[in-house]
Amino acid sequence: MSSDVILVIVVGTALAFDFTNGFHDTANVVATSISTGAARPSVAIGFASLLNFAGAFISISVAATVAKDVVDAEVITPTIVFAGLIGAIAWNLITWYFGLPSSSSHALIGGVVGSAVAAAGFDVILAEGLVGKVLIPAVVAPIVAMAVAALAIGLSYRVVGKQRPGIVTRGYRYGQILSGGLLALAHGTNDAQKTMGVITLALIANGTLGPEANPPTWVIVASATAIALGTYSGGWRIIKTTGTRIIKMDAAQGFSAQGAGAVVILASTHFGFPLSTTHVINGGVMGSGAAKRLSAVRWGVAGNIVVAWLLTLPAAALIGALTYGFTRIFGTGALGPVLVTLMALSLIAAAFARRAQRGAPVTAAGG
Amino acid sequence: MIATLVQTKELWETVVASVVAGLGVTFAFSVGIWGAGQFIELNRNERPLAAAGAAAVGILALAFVAAAVIIGIIVMTHK
Repeated sequence: MSSDVILVIVVGTALAFDFTNGFHDTANVVATSISTGAARPSVAIGFASLLNFAGAFISISVAATVAKDVVDAEVITPTIVFAGLIGAIAWNLITWYFGLPSSSSHALIGGVVGSAVAAAGFDVILAEGLVGKVLIPAVVAPIVAMAVAALAIGLSYRVVGKQRPGIVTRGYRYGQILSGGLLALAHGTNDAQKTMGVITLALIANGTLGPEANPPTWVIVASATAIALGTYSGGWRIIKTTGTRIIKMDAAQGFSAQGAGAVVILASTHFGFPLSTTHVINGGVMGSGAAKRLSAVRWGVAGNIVVAWLLTLPAAALIGALTYGFTRIFGTGALGPVLVTLMALSLIAAAFARRAQRGAPVTAAGG
Repeated sequence: MIATLVQTKELWETVVASVVAGLGVTFAFSVGIWGAGQFIELNRNERPLAAAGAAAVGILALAFVAAAVIIGIIVMTHK
């Protein structure tokens, strides 16, 4: 009974995390299309939400990595997964409050690793999966996206350079419907699967599923719905801020940036690499900007992303570990997770109230 | 130790697939735009045969883009 209560809390917390992931990432997915005039904000956001939903159904490789390849599922309990989720949400909240660009995906994996280590020691970490499938791709993927976008924009300008600007701009704007759609699909498939993986891990830990089980259909549908609703809700904030924070780029650059981001995320998803989609999309934008003019890129933002990269995994892991330690004070039952949930909800409400008083953060966290 | 942990084959395939697909689709789409631009320009200059050739190249290039996207999604869903 007690473990079922914890499981319900874990599933609810994971879906809330998924919703906030979509909410945070709307800007990354649609900003380029809106910036170049390829789509109206309401259309771009609705289209992205639908494709986020569809994307969640096209693969389960990333979910399998999160559920089976990062920590030893045999020693995991629902409370460990819960503490990991709290670590991720708390770190996302801290970075959102201070306006630091961070990765929800890295926070999620860091939180789960931290709470698992606190519960069962360092042997619980599956180093091959953590290093080979998470840490190395996290560094490589944004660099590849940047390089592909830079080469792609050079290629585009070479092919269409002598054409009239009108037809070129119109052509790439149409192209951005395709590239923006692929980017939303890619975002849905990689990010929703992380939540599917965590819920599956909790179900395995609870004994509801066998150790080699894949995510059940209800988990896939729930995760897809949560991220799509988050993307749609986040869109209304984007409509308000569009035109003030988005980097100006032409339609060809937008097409190249979105295309590079989409192919890198889709290829990585195929091999089960859980990426920070935010970092990959930003890599694509920087690549297409730098290829035209190095000074067009906000290198300060790039520096902040690198710092956030280095901090997110250990910080979320530390909070996950502390949360697990706190829940164990109250034994192995549901009391600890229930108390932590109530405290977390109070803190989130307080942070939102303070943030609303101080004004919106400059940069949002992402997935 | 790190060398044994890195999934070199999968990582390399990811990089190659990203570069080939990213550059291939961008190049083909750009050729599609080039074809459309040339078609308009050559028609304006009353060169219908050359205009039809440019349009055919453009349409083929856009068909390649559509095929690449469809094949990519089929590969993703069949693992």
